[in-house]
Amino acid sequence: MDERTDTSSPPTREPLIEFTGVKKRFGPKVIYEDATLSIYPGETITILGGSGTGKSVLIKMLIGLLRADAGSIKAFGHEVTTMNEAQLLSVRTRIAMLFQSGALFDSLTVEQNIKYPLREHAWGTDAQMKARVEEVLEMVGMPGSQKLKPAELSGGMRKRVGLARAIAIQPEVILYDEPTTGLDPVNVRRINGLILSLQAKLGVTSIVVTHDMDSCFTVTDRIAMLYDKRIAFVGTADETETCTIPYVREFIRGGRGVLSEDVT
Amino acid sequence: MEGFITLLRDAGAVAILTVRAFFAFFKAPIEITPVTYQLDHSGIRSWSITVLTALFTGMVLALQFATGLEPYGGSMYTGKLVSLGIVRELGPTLTALLVGGRVGSGFAAELGSMVVSEQVDAIRSLGADPIKKLVAPRVLACIIALPLLTILADGVGVFGGLLITMREVGVTAKFFFTQVKDTLGMVDLLHGLAKSVFFGYFIGILGCFIGLNTTGGTEGVGQSTTKAVVTTAITLLVSNYVLSTIFVAIYG
Repeated sequence: MDERTDTSSPPTREPLIEFTGVKKRFGPKVIYEDATLSIYPGETITILGGSGTGKSVLIKMLIGLLRADAGSIKAFGHEVTTMNEAQLLSVRTRIAMLFQSGALFDSLTVEQNIKYPLREHAWGTDAQMKARVEEVLEMVGMPGSQKLKPAELSGGMRKRVGLARAIAIQPEVILYDEPTTGLDPVNVRRINGLILSLQAKLGVTSIVVTHDMDSCFTVTDRIAMLYDKRIAFVGTADETETCTIPYVREFIRGGRGVLSEDVT
Repeated sequence: MEGFITLLRDAGAVAILTVRAFFAFFKAPIEITPVTYQLDHSGIRSWSITVLTALFTGMVLALQFATGLEPYGGSMYTGKLVSLGIVRELGPTLTALLVGGRVGSGFAAELGSMVVSEQVDAIRSLGADPIKKLVAPRVLACIIALPLLTILADGVGVFGGLLITMREVGVTAKFFFTQVKDTLGMVDLLHGLAKSVFFGYFIGILGCFIGLNTTGGTEGVGQSTTKAVVTTAITLLVSNYVLSTIFVAIYG
């Protein structure tokens, strides 16, 4: 636990991922004016923000699914913004993403879905891939579901299979895009448990994008708050209490169900 | 003016997509299975609409020529006109329009749904190229399928013409086929088939392009589907005229 809180204090190690002065707009809508954030190896950081503030945009820019208009994004010491699709491949093998609704391929079975990245990266023989599929399905608590089609799965199960697919090629960083949105409380707890257990088992760095405060406080080491087109605040859960930006305090208190005196 | 600029920009984007799909397909490993799957799914399963369209087109063409030419004593030439009309124009064009409506809208809906459910992003994040996985096999399958369907349409259309010519004009099948043989040259057949290769390309690339550029959730998927049908049909009709002009100028 000491290890986890340690990441919040001014770090002594090199950041794994660095956003510096990132700008992004869609047509006339400005999403980021100047986003700066450093993420350190082994930590779990949650990016919080209201709906439509472009939380997912940040992590999609990290793996080149979206391009930043300006600024620098570094992953493992390499500049991502100037990479072409072929060069991005090396980043994408090390950073996996769990999409909001799982983004499983409808036409493929669970097994084929999980084998997809393994095949693309020529991960091993067919028998090895089969064993790997079994292993990751076990990890996400869905053993024996290899032959099912995505249409036969519930929302929570799809996310878990999506997670299994994401961790199949043993990434160093996992990006979670709204992992608990739209799930019932049982599934929310289950997904949060998975994020924690993967963290413990695989030692990965996790970036969680969410507006779900409960999840945030369950899984996170640090919180980054998105406000006014930039990262307005970064710190531990306790540090949010002393944050001077009223919106950040409001968001976090409101999310935790603490009634604010300022508002009432 | 703005519409014209959009048109030019889209045409450029389609050209870029074509080039990227071409290189993506030949980039190792060359994947044949998705092509055969699409060929079955989009090509072979279009045989029934092709047959129905061609049969009734051949029949109505024969009916109109047989009755229309009668006052001039020209009904004996029905076989010549029907076969020429089918093989050079209606076989390839109507097949393309029908298959374009069926397949192009299907591509747009399928790829559009994949875009809005982030499956296309997932393909990229898992280290694969959506153009290689989705666009290349679909376009290639259409380019292969359309000429084959056109040959089928040509045969069935001429057969439909035969049935009605025999009934309306009273010629024998032998007479009809002799006329067809005398009228049609290899050039006529190639004229139609060459066009159908282009039609296959347009159907495939436009369906994929419009699908991949879907925005705005499920509503966007619906709009893309409609857009694919309309855009493909217009492109086919305009390009048919242009291609025909070129081929006529070259081969007569």
